[in-house]
Amino acid sequence: MNFRVLHIELRRSVAPWAGGVVLASALAFLYLVNGSWWNGTTAWTAQWTSLALWTRSLLFYLWPLAVGFGALQGLRDHRSKMVELLTSTPRPARHRAAVPAGATAITLASAYAFLVLVGGVQVLANTRYTHLSWLPISLVGALFLVAGAVLGMGAGRALPSVLTPPLLAMGAFAFTALMHLSLGRTATIDPATGLTTTAPNRLSLLSPEVDEVHSTLVTLSASVHIGQTIWVLGTATTGFALLVAATRRARLLALAPVLAGAVLALLVLPSDPRRMYVVDEAAAKPVCDGPVCVTTAHEDRLADLAGPGRKALRLLHGALGDRAPVSVRENTAVQPEGSTPRWSRTTVLFGFDDDIVADARGEEQLTWALLAKGLVPGCAPVGWSGFGGDEYAQAVAVGWVLGELKPLPGTPAGASGEVDAKARPVWKELKALPPAEQLARINAMRAAALSCKGDPFDVLSGKAAR
Amino acid sequence: MSRVSVAGVVPVRWLALYARSRQVPVSLASVVICTVAVWAPARDGGGGSGDPRLPVLVLATGVLAVSIGFGGQDLALDRTAAIRWVPRRAAHVLLAGTVVAAVLLAAQAMGSERATIEFVVRDSAGLTGLAALGAALAGGQYAWTLPFAWLSLAFSAPPATSTATRVASWLLLPPGTSAGTWTALFLLVTGTAAYALAGPRR
Repeated sequence: MNFRVLHIELRRSVAPWAGGVVLASALAFLYLVNGSWWNGTTAWTAQWTSLALWTRSLLFYLWPLAVGFGALQGLRDHRSKMVELLTSTPRPARHRAAVPAGATAITLASAYAFLVLVGGVQVLANTRYTHLSWLPISLVGALFLVAGAVLGMGAGRALPSVLTPPLLAMGAFAFTALMHLSLGRTATIDPATGLTTTAPNRLSLLSPEVDEVHSTLVTLSASVHIGQTIWVLGTATTGFALLVAATRRARLLALAPVLAGAVLALLVLPSDPRRMYVVDEAAAKPVCDGPVCVTTAHEDRLADLAGPGRKALRLLHGALGDRAPVSVRENTAVQPEGSTPRWSRTTVLFGFDDDIVADARGEEQLTWALLAKGLVPGCAPVGWSGFGGDEYAQAVAVGWVLGELKPLPGTPAGASGEVDAKARPVWKELKALPPAEQLARINAMRAAALSCKGDPFDVLSGKAAR
Repeated sequence: MSRVSVAGVVPVRWLALYARSRQVPVSLASVVICTVAVWAPARDGGGGSGDPRLPVLVLATGVLAVSIGFGGQDLALDRTAAIRWVPRRAAHVLLAGTVVAAVLLAAQAMGSERATIEFVVRDSAGLTGLAALGAALAGGQYAWTLPFAWLSLAFSAPPATSTATRVASWLLLPPGTSAGTWTALFLLVTGTAAYALAGPRR
C-alpha cells in the first residue's frame, strides 16, 4: 500500500471526521446523559466486562453512523466526476479501494479504542480484578464499526446518489432499533408471576448492540463472538467487493459474502438466551474470608464485608439457633429479568446492587443489611424494584434480632415514616408473645420469604393462616 | 396565441426544474417506499400499538430522504438568480415536512392506526426543522446528520422526568406534552428561518 496516499487520505478525507464524530459523540453521550451506565456495580467504569458491554451497546447508533460516513466516503469519486480518469490508471482497483477503506478503518478503530481506553483508565482505578476475557467483546465491536463503514463505502460506490448515505444510515439505525425492540426479541409470560418478559433471540445477535448490562458477572459466550465475527467479515467482504466491482454482474456477486455470512452466523449463533449471555466463571469464583464469600470481581470489597458478615451470622445464630444460615455469599445466580428470585436457607445471599446493601454506610448498617437479607431476602421479580411487605417484614425481623427497631438502609427518603408506622405495632405485638411463639412466627415468616410464597409481613403480623 | 401559452407555462416549468434540481422525484419515491417497507412488517403488532418509536423511525426516514433536497446542484449559480429565495426556501421546507407527515398518515389510513395526527404533525415538523438547520449549518448533503443525531439521543435518553430529559426525548413524548410541542415548534421555526435566510452552506 502506498503510505503517502494513506497519509493524505487520513488528513484530507471524511475519515478523520468519522473517527472524531464517533469518539466525541460517544463520550458526550456517556458523560452528559445520566443513564444506567453510571449505576452501581455495573457502571461502565466499574469492571472491564461492564466497560466492554456498555461501549458495545453504544454501537446502536455508532454503527449506523459509521455506515453513513462510509457511504459519504464511497460517493467521493462520483462527486469529483473523475471515475473514468481513475479507472484509466494502471493501478488495480483493489489498491485504489484499499487506501480510503484503510484510512476509515484506522480512524474508526482508533476512535473506538480510545473510547475504551478512557473508560479503561477509570476501571483500573475502580477495581483490582483485571482480566482479558472482555477483549473479544470490544474487538468484535471495533470490527462491526469498520465493517459497517466499508459496507457503506461499497454501497455508496454501487449506488451513487446523495440519497444513499442518509437512507443507509437510517436503514442501519432501524435495523439496530428493531432488533432491540421487536424483531430481535421473543416475549414470554412467566407463569409464576404473570409478567411478560422479553429475551433476545438469535436474530438480535446480528445487530452490534448488546443487551443492557444487569450483572457484573454476565458476559457474551464464545459462540456469540464467533458467529458475529463471521457475519462481520461477510459484510466487510461484500463492502470491499462492491468498492472494487465495476460491472453489474460483479456487484451482484459481491452480495454473496454478506448472505453467506448471515447464514453461517445464524448457524453458529446460539438460540437460547442463556447461552448468549453466560456467567463469567472466572469472575464469579468465590473468594472467602471464613464464612463470608464474594466473587473474584469484587475481591477488593471483601475486607469491608468480612466483619459485618461474621457479626450478622453470629446474631442470626443467636436468634434462630440451628436454623440460622451458616455463610454469607455474594449472589452469583444470574436469573432472567422478571423471574422470581431463588433463595437459600443456609446461606445469606446478597448483591452489591441490592438497595439495602448499596446504601449501607459503615459496619453497623452493613450488618443490619445482611441480617435483613438473611431473614427476608425479598421477592421482587429480578430486575424490578418495589416497596412493600418485604421491606416492612425486614424492619420487623431485624428489629426482633437486634432488640430494637432500626431504620434500615435503602429505604426511600419519603418512606421511612411509613415503614415505622407499619412495622412498630407488629414488632410490639411480636415482642409481647412468649419466646417460643416468637421464634415459631419468625421461622414461618422466613419460610414464606425464602420460598417467595405469601407475604412475609402478613405472616409476622399473624394475619396469614399458617 | 403563442405568447399566452408561454406565460402560462413558465411557472410550471420553473417548478419542474426546481423539483428536478432538488431531486424531489427520487426522494419522494423513497419516502413512499420506506414508509411502506417499515410499516408493512410492523402491521402485525411488532412493537406494541402504544410504542411511539416505530412511527418516529418512519418519520425520520422520510425526513432524511427529503433532506437531500435542501441544497441545489450548483449553489453559486443558484445565488446569481434574480429571484427571492427566502419565501421559496421556506416553502420548500414546510412542504417537505407536510409531505412526510401526509405519506405516513395516508399509510395509516390504509392500515392499522398507531400514531395520532398530533404526534405525526409534531414530530415531522420538528424533524424537518432540524434537517433544514442541518442544511444551513453543513450543506444539503450532510443535512441528515442533525435529525439523525437527535433521533439516536431520543432513543436512548433516560426516562423523561426533568425538563432537560423531556426536551432530549421530545420525539417520543405523548402528544400534547408541552415540552415536546414547544421543542418541535422551536426547531421548526429556527430551522426554517435559518435555511430560508442563509440558504444551504456551500
